[in-house]
Amino acid sequence: MTLKKFIGPALAGLAAALLGFTASAHHSTAMFEWGKEKQLEGVIDKFQWTQPHAFIWLKVPGKNGKEQQFGLEGMSPSWLGRHHWNSRSLQVGQKVTIDYYPLRDGRPGGFFVRVKTADGKLLEGLPGGPGRGPPPPSAATAK
Amino acid sequence: MKYSHVPATLVAAAVAAAMLAGCNNAANSSATDAAAGAGVNPYAELVKWPDWSGVWEPARFAGRPSTDSGPPAPPKLTPEYAAKYAAFQEKNRKTPGLNFVTNVANCVPPGLPSSMNQPYPFEFLYTPGRVTILIETYSMVRRIYLDGQVNPEETDASYQGTSIGHWDGDTLVVETTNILPETSPMQGIVGHSDQFKVTERIRLEDPDTLAIETTVQDPAVFLEPYTTTSRYARHKDWHIYEYVCAQNNHDFVDEHGNAGFSLERKPGE
Repeated sequence: MTLKKFIGPALAGLAAALLGFTASAHHSTAMFEWGKEKQLEGVIDKFQWTQPHAFIWLKVPGKNGKEQQFGLEGMSPSWLGRHHWNSRSLQVGQKVTIDYYPLRDGRPGGFFVRVKTADGKLLEGLPGGPGRGPPPPSAATAK
Repeated sequence: MKYSHVPATLVAAAVAAAMLAGCNNAANSSATDAAAGAGVNPYAELVKWPDWSGVWEPARFAGRPSTDSGPPAPPKLTPEYAAKYAAFQEKNRKTPGLNFVTNVANCVPPGLPSSMNQPYPFEFLYTPGRVTILIETYSMVRRIYLDGQVNPEETDASYQGTSIGHWDGDTLVVETTNILPETSPMQGIVGHSDQFKVTERIRLEDPDTLAIETTVQDPAVFLEPYTTTSRYARHKDWHIYEYVCAQNNHDFVDEHGNAGFSLERKPGE
């Protein structure tokens, strides 16, 4: 089951279309395939509650038993902290499913969109998720 | 001291006369200083200023319209800067997801006016003769002098420039010069001359909406002054977070203006 069931695909698409800039408080999103979600299942190796972005290091089991490390950037604590996240939202060793926008160059990393924990908790990582409406169209013109 | 020979009563009389004359900001300053010496609390003037308490979030992030009727009309640019802007637009068109890539990705803070259009909120502090704006993103500080304490002719260029303000009723009018020329005068353009000037009119539009009308001018960049309005939503129960960009920045822009992303994990992380 994909996590998209938790929010309407239309809303997800709208958010993706509008929010390229939002993640980019201080940089471009050109290095990510913004709006093209992929999914990872793995174990939290480190959750960094840091500026300018929160960061998840995820251990993902590979095909031949070899573990791969993914580095996933997210929004900043400035946004996440005001939208149901805090520094204890994810714990080392926790099993999670993460939707993310992958890096264009194929390296194991990207931008995390939402995280679902094994006990069913859903953490939205971008504006437009439940509890927060999509931003107005004028957002598309912002930095 | 220069005026030590002047009787204190004479100084007080002169100050009183200046106050009665409806003096300008510079005179107000000396009046404030003298009043403090005479036992009048200089903070008393602050109760006359409008209530801008709380934390102000850019309206577009609070889910509210941020402009009157969609994006503002584009500015009229000089040929040199029109070419720069066209080059950015073309690059933006060719590169999916490309935003305006500047040195800010490397944690160099933006200058004014970009600093007032960051995604995270700011707050105001009132002290005698000064309004201070604390901006969460990049932990930037703007000091707006209302008391003549700082002369822009004598300051050096800085990211937020030198801001001189005065109250026009409940509107704070701020004129800022001496902004570093490598900063961005508007989205899509980097660089301006030392003639760059930003004029802001800051006021409450309704009890919980702040409107800032911003006019930028620079004969090197703009053919005529360019005015936009940004709006901000008040959050009385928020507080400002610490924001140290160098804490864990994996993003960068290279010398060619291309965006990059580092997957390096520091030892021990």
